[in-house]
Amino acid sequence: MFIRNYLIPRLLQYFLVIFLGITIVFFIPRMAPTNPVERTIAEIRSRGTYLDPAYVQQMVDALTEMYGLSGSWLQQYKDFWVRLSTGDFGVSFFQFPTPVMTLIKRALPWTVGLLFTTTVFSWLFGNIVGGIAGYAHNRRWSKLLDGIMMFIRPIPYYVFALGLLILFGYVYRKFPIAGGASIGRTPSFTLSYILDVLRHAFLPATSLAVLGAASWFQTSKLIVQNVNAEDFVQYAQLGGVKESRIIFRYIIRNAMLPQITNLALSLGQILSGALITEIVFSYPGLGNLLYSAISTGDYNLIMGIISLSIVAITTLVLIVDLVYPLFDPRIRYK
Amino acid sequence: MRRTRVVLLLVCLTFFVLGAAALAQEIAFPRDQTLIVNMLTGRVGTPSNFNEWVSWRWRDRGMQNLANEPLWSVDFATGQTIDGLASGDPVYNEDFTKLTIPLREGVAWSDGVPFTADDVVFTIETIIAEPGLNSHPTFATLVKNVYKTGDYEVVIELSEPDSRFHTHFLDRWGCTWIMPKHIFEQVDDVVSFEFDPFVGCGPYKLHSYDPAGYWTAWEKREDWDKSPTGIRFGEPAPKYVLFQTFAESSAKVIAQFTHQLDIADHDAEGFAAAMAQGGTIRAYQLSYPWVVNNDPCLTGITFNTMVEPFNNREVRWALVLAIDIVEYLAQAVDGQATLSPVHVPHLGAYPEYYIEPMQDWLKNFALDLGGGEMFYPYDPDAGLRIAEYARQRGHKVGDDPEELKNTFGLGWYKYAPDVAEKLLIKNGFSRDANGRWLLPDGTPWKIQITDINDVGHHQFKNGNAAVQQWKKFGIDAEYVATDAYTSLQQVGDFQVGAVWPVTEPWGAGADLYRSLNNFYSEYMAPIGELNRGHASRWSSPEFDEIIRRMRATDPTDIEATVAVSTEALKILVEEMPSIPTYGYSGFMTWDEYYWTNWPGAENPYMGPYGHWGTLKYMLPFLKPTGNK
Repeated sequence: MFIRNYLIPRLLQYFLVIFLGITIVFFIPRMAPTNPVERTIAEIRSRGTYLDPAYVQQMVDALTEMYGLSGSWLQQYKDFWVRLSTGDFGVSFFQFPTPVMTLIKRALPWTVGLLFTTTVFSWLFGNIVGGIAGYAHNRRWSKLLDGIMMFIRPIPYYVFALGLLILFGYVYRKFPIAGGASIGRTPSFTLSYILDVLRHAFLPATSLAVLGAASWFQTSKLIVQNVNAEDFVQYAQLGGVKESRIIFRYIIRNAMLPQITNLALSLGQILSGALITEIVFSYPGLGNLLYSAISTGDYNLIMGIISLSIVAITTLVLIVDLVYPLFDPRIRYK
Repeated sequence: MRRTRVVLLLVCLTFFVLGAAALAQEIAFPRDQTLIVNMLTGRVGTPSNFNEWVSWRWRDRGMQNLANEPLWSVDFATGQTIDGLASGDPVYNEDFTKLTIPLREGVAWSDGVPFTADDVVFTIETIIAEPGLNSHPTFATLVKNVYKTGDYEVVIELSEPDSRFHTHFLDRWGCTWIMPKHIFEQVDDVVSFEFDPFVGCGPYKLHSYDPAGYWTAWEKREDWDKSPTGIRFGEPAPKYVLFQTFAESSAKVIAQFTHQLDIADHDAEGFAAAMAQGGTIRAYQLSYPWVVNNDPCLTGITFNTMVEPFNNREVRWALVLAIDIVEYLAQAVDGQATLSPVHVPHLGAYPEYYIEPMQDWLKNFALDLGGGEMFYPYDPDAGLRIAEYARQRGHKVGDDPEELKNTFGLGWYKYAPDVAEKLLIKNGFSRDANGRWLLPDGTPWKIQITDINDVGHHQFKNGNAAVQQWKKFGIDAEYVATDAYTSLQQVGDFQVGAVWPVTEPWGAGADLYRSLNNFYSEYMAPIGELNRGHASRWSSPEFDEIIRRMRATDPTDIEATVAVSTEALKILVEEMPSIPTYGYSGFMTWDEYYWTNWPGAENPYMGPYGHWGTLKYMLPFLKPTGNK
């Protein structure tokens, strides 16, 4: 019953969303005015290499052929699906001939490492502390914490990140100001390298985690305050149920439901990268890669990153949909 | 109780990890033996790929400026051509269909294999054979034959006369490099070959690089004396050279404040912040305007002359006269630049060859306003007006006329909005009741300047300064910043741009062919098609004739070259398809904490930048301060 009435239609919807999303991402960059072949030639010329104008057209033809852009859009679209069936997004145009998957694999660990950790940390911290503060909203510490979060949350991310950079990179000089690891270090699974990576990740992670936690805190606190006013909570209190049980089993569990959906969406968006963080801290990741792909008209690279992002978001939403009954017993797929 | 212990344990663990991370020591190259240079072109997109013959590579990561040696290099600071792998100038036959290149003896690649004529012959033959290599179209068409006449001499036969073929090997921020034959001959697919580790003839070899593309480290070769740099200039001082990129301008400034960056290219704001800090940070010039003002590049405004009304010479000139160059320069770069009234930058030998000899012609150049009225637009004192502006801003500016000319230029055009108005009215334009300009068909005149989306770039600065000037004159002007500007300009989908008004000249010698050839009519495509010439799409039969004469002129014949190039420059002033404004101002700073004897304006022994090929030739002259 569940499989026929819910799972199969839901899976069909899942694949349809991915197919449509990828199709749209295939065509939109091609409609933009940036032409990757012209952009590459302009870059070579503007960087000082002397290309005799008499031979530029021949170069355009050669690059168009090499980039696989010589056929019609429909032909390219067909070729794209054939390639994708083998997990190949082709080569990056602007970083020719590096395969798109190589570029993504290179940037992905940094993005996932930074954003997954900070997203989960800030979600847990914000929801737990926000939940408790929401339950005890009349206490002085709760009001103080709320005031601090209210002060932090509206700070524009760029300003906050730059402030951390100046404070800990220049004034106190405790943490590195740029990069994912020290210059000269070769990536390895050694304690020394891991500590070095953590040290470099401290400022970017702090900038993301603090603002993220403040946001989750405020949302969670408000939801908990609302749940707290529900009849079943009052009933439990009057019935003498232990306070910690009321907080964690009755209130936070109920308040968490929308937050779980939001967490899934936040985790799915990780694959779009954190552009401003990467810029401020010169930190490696997918955000910069995607930005440069868009600005140079690097169709294949745009396709690679956005497709993964589409798959990640839709998959996480699917998983949340399927496991929701575990969090909310009221929901049953019949 | 148990829960409290768990929480305490977690807190302690977190602090331990963060504390240990904070204490973790960086693997540092000994700082007193290391030069750290900021990369101009940003994060390397292909960190493991050093194959610079294919597509675009981030060559200023140390490839072109350190570990590679070209046949020849341009040094714009001295105006000289420096022999690298070549031991002298190319020798052409009489009709420029054959050239002989003498090569330097005693040079070895960084892996110890000797450099010989075989490498040069192999490079040219490989480029001809492989369509995926950048220079393939040119070489496949132009080179008829290439062979060696000895281990250190190469002859190239051309399929048609070309007096400048050797410039393909002349490094002016890039050129065609020589391949190490012993490596590339073993490669099946030259296009996909990554060439990692990089092997070059420069004095440094690859040490390591960031797989994420933020830095590349190079180490001095033990046999540095087998590089042209070592042979010509001696041992480079730094043992290591690091190229690092900072995505954020503030981080770059902080890096220099904390002595983690020796050579930095800033935007104007970053430059001001760095200079305000003072201490061991210095600029190219020791006094105002501080900036690098001898960069062989001219900035300005470019009209799309295939679009109305910019196809009208008098309209273009009206827009020039609507510019108050003092206000323009103030807004663009706070007056920190050198003006040029003609389409060649005011630097090196160019003023002597062109701008000074053209002064009389410029003073006598007149615009016909109709009804027998003539207007002489040239203002030989424009540079002095900029100097006065600088004084008013509180900067110390001397009175020596020669110094002022070098600093601010020889002149520009008068601010004459009344004359601009006459020219426009003569061409059917009018003003509405609010004083706003209307096109000849009566509709409001709107000008869009479409160009780069980078506030620190001189194209952005020029474009916005022009917008302010034209708005003040009563035109509804706006700047459209877009990453797609190169594509739009190449297919002519724009009205006005701020792309360089003329292609950059070599920066050495008198030859302007590299700049002027781009106006040849054959390269101009109709709107909607890819343009191969200058973005203005302007050309004329008269100018074509001059280009053809230039092609037949020996570029080493200074007198003949200057004569024909001057004719071309005069036509460009008369037609004004693009507006030359000021020479590129380099907002560059050096930190003198670890290294001194930089090639500043007081001692310009070599090009000052870290990203040009001449960096390797600067390094033997640097002196360590002894700071640890």
